[in-house]
Amino acid sequence: MEAADVADTTSPSVVCSGLDIVYTVFGAKQKGTDTGGELPLVERLLTKRNPVSSVRKVHAVKDVSFVVNHGEAVGIIGRNGSGKSTLLRAVAGLMPPTNGRVWASGRPSLLGVNAVLLTGLTGAKNVMIGGLALGLTPRQVRERYDDIVDFSGIGDFVNLPMSAYSSGMGARLRFAISTAAAPDILMIDEALATGDAEFQARSRDRIAEIRRDASTVFLVSHSNAAIRESCDRVLWMEQGRLVMDGPTDEVVRAYEQSHRKATA
Amino acid sequence: MTIGHSNVVEDVEAPAARTEPARLTPEEAAALARGAGLEELGVRPGLLGYAREVWSYRHLVWHLSSAQAWATNQNNYLGQLWAVLNPLLLVGSYYLIFGLLLKTRGGTSNYIAFLTIGIFVFGYSASAIIAGSRAVVGQIGLVRALRFPRAVLPISVTLTQFLVNVPAFAVLMVMIPLTGEPFSPHWLLFPVALVFQSLINLGLAFFLARVVNAARDSANLVPVGVRLARYVSGVFFSIPHYAGHGLLSAVLLYQPLAVSMTTAREALMDQYPLTWGSWVAAAAWGVALSVTGIVFFWRGEGRYGSS
Ligand SMILES: Nc1ncnc2c1ncn2[C@@H]1O[C@H](COP(=O)(O)OP(=O)(O)OP(=O)(O)O)[C@@H](O)[C@H]1O
Ligand SMILES: [Mg+2]
Repeated sequence: MEAADVADTTSPSVVCSGLDIVYTVFGAKQKGTDTGGELPLVERLLTKRNPVSSVRKVHAVKDVSFVVNHGEAVGIIGRNGSGKSTLLRAVAGLMPPTNGRVWASGRPSLLGVNAVLLTGLTGAKNVMIGGLALGLTPRQVRERYDDIVDFSGIGDFVNLPMSAYSSGMGARLRFAISTAAAPDILMIDEALATGDAEFQARSRDRIAEIRRDASTVFLVSHSNAAIRESCDRVLWMEQGRLVMDGPTDEVVRAYEQSHRKATA
Repeated sequence: MTIGHSNVVEDVEAPAARTEPARLTPEEAAALARGAGLEELGVRPGLLGYAREVWSYRHLVWHLSSAQAWATNQNNYLGQLWAVLNPLLLVGSYYLIFGLLLKTRGGTSNYIAFLTIGIFVFGYSASAIIAGSRAVVGQIGLVRALRFPRAVLPISVTLTQFLVNVPAFAVLMVMIPLTGEPFSPHWLLFPVALVFQSLINLGLAFFLARVVNAARDSANLVPVGVRLARYVSGVFFSIPHYAGHGLLSAVLLYQPLAVSMTTAREALMDQYPLTWGSWVAAAAWGVALSVTGIVFFWRGEGRYGSS
């Protein structure tokens, strides 16, 4: 087995077996989104959908299995809506599996592009709440507060509500919070994409640092360059299924080829 | 014990068809995870372990509640002043309707004090129940971003509503002597009444938060129920005076929301002497509802945030 070139690759930190995630979506609008609206009344009544309730199931992750070891950096790639974010949420213990089982070591820290903490509250309050939720004590958060704010580089804006932040500023603060607790498993969901070049370089260094402590890193990104730079293994998701799991070069090349085929 | 690093699990659009990889069976995966000392996600811990876990997140509860209580009145120019203005305006308008127009003052000697206590005490329960029922579904962003025992949410929502209502209780304590109530050491019991009431609110929040998470639509019924309760719990009128002393009156008087108001009035008003019945009832409701509530909520742990 060609394995990651990082320490301690023999002991798994995440085991995922036959994972299924199904979302229940409320308020799915049916009229106009399908042809039912134009059908004659009788046929409309005969089509199976319940006209009153607007609930639909979305099978976002289908039968996914993998094992990831300590110190590995795993990229997750795939088209929009292929289930990457959902998979990460499940592995972070934030979405209960509909089927299958997931095991993980320690407390995963998920940094999603939409991981809004509490937008109505100031950055400073979010640092405290995020830190406490990641398992720090109030004292530890206060000790690391300056580091977190420095690393985020948002300066005085830390005392403004997060709803007044630009998306890059929000991403910087979230990244600073999530990495402050030295997580066993760090998951980054496109969170770095909105940062500027300087921040991306700094966050790459931070990720490398975290990996050196034998933590596992998951990185979801649509930038194949970023994946190539930080990951040594890649999972390719397609319509909720894990299509390919292997070394970065091989999988990213196959993924790029599949685009070319699609556009040709 | 390694997993193939070049597994093509299923060939949807991968370049060339490959051989089916050696996938772990569920049993092998479980054994591997157990061997590595990993923790299974999405499973419910034991009740005691759960309670311990919730306790370890007490700081999160406090910071979440205080920050959100403060933010409640931040998005306008007068800011925190509204925390005091709102209850005053409320009392003014209710006095106009029920004191002067509808005349429901029967059986009360100090109607303004009676009405003010009713409005503020019931107002706390009403806002805590409505917010509590949405404790999980209304915070789905937080639920999907951070991992913590979900019981933190109903607890922090109840605490938030308590903190939001503290200015109203302060206004109440200023108004009571102004309405002509003589000073009394019984006033010191008012915080105790609020503790029992908070336990009642917390219990209801646990029950409703899980029910609403499982069946969204029920969230629409909660405000209706609260409005109904407002009219039968003796906010504006004295229950014994209008409902007599029969079984119906006893049921109306000893339901948890009415009992909260009775204990508050007994603590603050000269006309109502302390009675064991109402204080024991309030304590019993508080303990029973919050204990059964957390058990009920715990049984749904692992399913919050799935819809
Ligand atoms: N909160 C949600 N409620 C209901 N369905 C959802 C929710 N989030 C995602 N889905 C559905 O699950 C599927 C997978 O979504 P997911 O967000 O995991 O995709 P993704 O791979 O992260 O996409 P992207 O690259 O755009 O971030 C999609 O079909 C989407 O419609
Ligand atoms: Mg996504």
